[in-house]
Amino acid sequence: MGMVTDSQNNSTVGRGWRLGKLGLGLVGSYLSYQAQNLLLGEGRQAQRQTRFRQKASRRVREELGALKGPAMKLGQMLSMQADALPEEAMRELVQLQMQAPAMHGTLARAQFKGSLGKYPEEIFREFDAESFAAASLGQVHRATTHDGEKVAVKIQYPGIKSAIESDFKLLRSTTLPTQLSGHVPRALLDEVERGLLAETDYRHEVDNLEFFRQGLSGLNYLTIPRVRREWSTDRVLTMSYVEGGSFDAFLQRKPSQELRDQTGTRLVEMYEMQLRCLKTIHADHHPGNYLFRPDGAIGLVDFGCVKHITFDVRELRRGYQDRVWRQSEAAARSFLVLLYGRQIPFRRARRCLPLLDQWADLLYPRGSTADVVVDYRTGRDERFEELAAAHWKHIWQDKLINPEHAFLVRADMGLFHLLGKLRVKVNFSEVWRRVEAAANAASPRQKP
Amino acid sequence: MTAACDFHKYESTHVLLMKAPSKPSARKKASGKRHENKEKTKRAILAAALALFAKKGFYRTTTKEISKKAGIAEGTLFNYFETKEDLALYFFALEQAETIAGYEADHHLQRASLPEKLFAIIHRFLDRLAPYEEFIGAVYWRALTPASKLSPWSLQSQERNLHYLQFIRRVLAQAEADGEIPRVGDFGAYAFGMFHAAIITFWLQDSSPGKEKTLALLDRCLKLGTHLVRNGGWEW
Repeated sequence: MGMVTDSQNNSTVGRGWRLGKLGLGLVGSYLSYQAQNLLLGEGRQAQRQTRFRQKASRRVREELGALKGPAMKLGQMLSMQADALPEEAMRELVQLQMQAPAMHGTLARAQFKGSLGKYPEEIFREFDAESFAAASLGQVHRATTHDGEKVAVKIQYPGIKSAIESDFKLLRSTTLPTQLSGHVPRALLDEVERGLLAETDYRHEVDNLEFFRQGLSGLNYLTIPRVRREWSTDRVLTMSYVEGGSFDAFLQRKPSQELRDQTGTRLVEMYEMQLRCLKTIHADHHPGNYLFRPDGAIGLVDFGCVKHITFDVRELRRGYQDRVWRQSEAAARSFLVLLYGRQIPFRRARRCLPLLDQWADLLYPRGSTADVVVDYRTGRDERFEELAAAHWKHIWQDKLINPEHAFLVRADMGLFHLLGKLRVKVNFSEVWRRVEAAANAASPRQKP
Repeated sequence: MTAACDFHKYESTHVLLMKAPSKPSARKKASGKRHENKEKTKRAILAAALALFAKKGFYRTTTKEISKKAGIAEGTLFNYFETKEDLALYFFALEQAETIAGYEADHHLQRASLPEKLFAIIHRFLDRLAPYEEFIGAVYWRALTPASKLSPWSLQSQERNLHYLQFIRRVLAQAEADGEIPRVGDFGAYAFGMFHAAIITFWLQDSSPGKEKTLALLDRCLKLGTHLVRNGGWEW
């Protein structure tokens, strides 16, 4: 399957995406935007970006924010891939994360009562009808309990579950051509739908919050909200209020290099702890889910979507470090199975090997024994972004989509995106060693 | 010509709607005490009837049972309510008056956007009706009979509706004065009245937890409606 260029605009994929655009409105157009950006040449990409900038930026915030649900989620996913989007669209999407157009107070209170049987004022001493943050499937309100504790009350937008189900029905039918061509594996759609539907039941999030709170309690700079189960249901989640400002607000205070490095290292350590000790990662590494305090402490919120990792991260890293694919064909086979899963034929997967070499060059420029140090102090390393983009293109063209690996890559990209914006220098190997020691000390916990 | 402009031609058709609600007459004031007592008895009868409707259903409850529960003679009951339908009408009138009073006392709501105000009006009404859902369902079926006093075309229903339409007209006029929507006139109040009735029908059928489907439908319709009225078409 070649790239969709001007001359091939009538290809199955092209038609499929256009059909998707028609049928799905926003969801479709964003998916197609994302897909076309991967596939189009530089010139066409620029054209499309201009059109997108003019027409869609405002619409993203206004309409997606109102729709919530899958479309907003998709917007968030896109906003993590900062480089695929023009600056204007990025700004709108960041607003989506933090200040999506809200349910008005009356609707939020009505939904609260529908779920808990009482109005918020009957339960809390104070309740702010204005929301202070948007959550992916709802919004968050401040409240104070009768015992004086400040809490955050997350209220889900009504009818979100049926909206997701009907969106996915449409998505499945309109992306049928791409499913048949193998570019959008059904497993991937199933995975995304399953994840989103699980997110609509806040009781899962309650379990996740408690699991992460306990599992990451060793990190004294990290705050994870404490759940108040008595005021939580499938559609309302009440938890302790976590102080802290947004990522942008943190950067606006012009933190010292030392504080930035410390913050960057902490973000890496948090991520590594999740990967290695909990074997479960917080799936939304977008800036809106982090809260930063001037003293360097970090809050992590929104545990609606977490992912249990069966992937052996250590083996993956060892593979890159030692370039195992060069050792023997058998070693190359098993490494590619690790990356893309068993279902991908070796002859197709092996086309990625030159890219893997480039990755290894980038990660271990001073040989496999030297520490992995990411230095973004003078700006992001563009080679990294270029290679990531090339890799994505390859994954797409050769249909190497393995949901779990894609998920991990997405989380990695999110983390690197944050580090790039922070302009930090982080010694990854040092963090890895520290977490390894902690992981060895404690046996792995079980995901609830 | 946009849809927004079309509303103008309805503007002067029902000037009556813009009249302030009638004030209690001098005679009524004079017999204030007697009126109060009468109202008290009516409410006691209604409370007894609602309890029985909840237990036995609207159709199977007899006037005899109602009068017994209310502690009055059956003949006295007929002095107040000729039929069960009159009871239902009285119930709606009371709930409507409470909804309007609740809205007018809510200062936060006075500053809210139009979709939120309209949402609050319907939701407050539904919230008050929620304990009597089965009874409301029965009344809605009965209302489909043209000869019924509950029918929207009956004189009694129209009188009750008028108060409600006047109230909605005032809310819309405020939004017009604030420049939130173009002039929609009486047409807007009528359209909203019909929408309100449709939402109650949907609400009665809604089996989703916490009736959240009704909330979602109500919210989306009102946002879309305001958007359409404001922009005069599908300019997205």
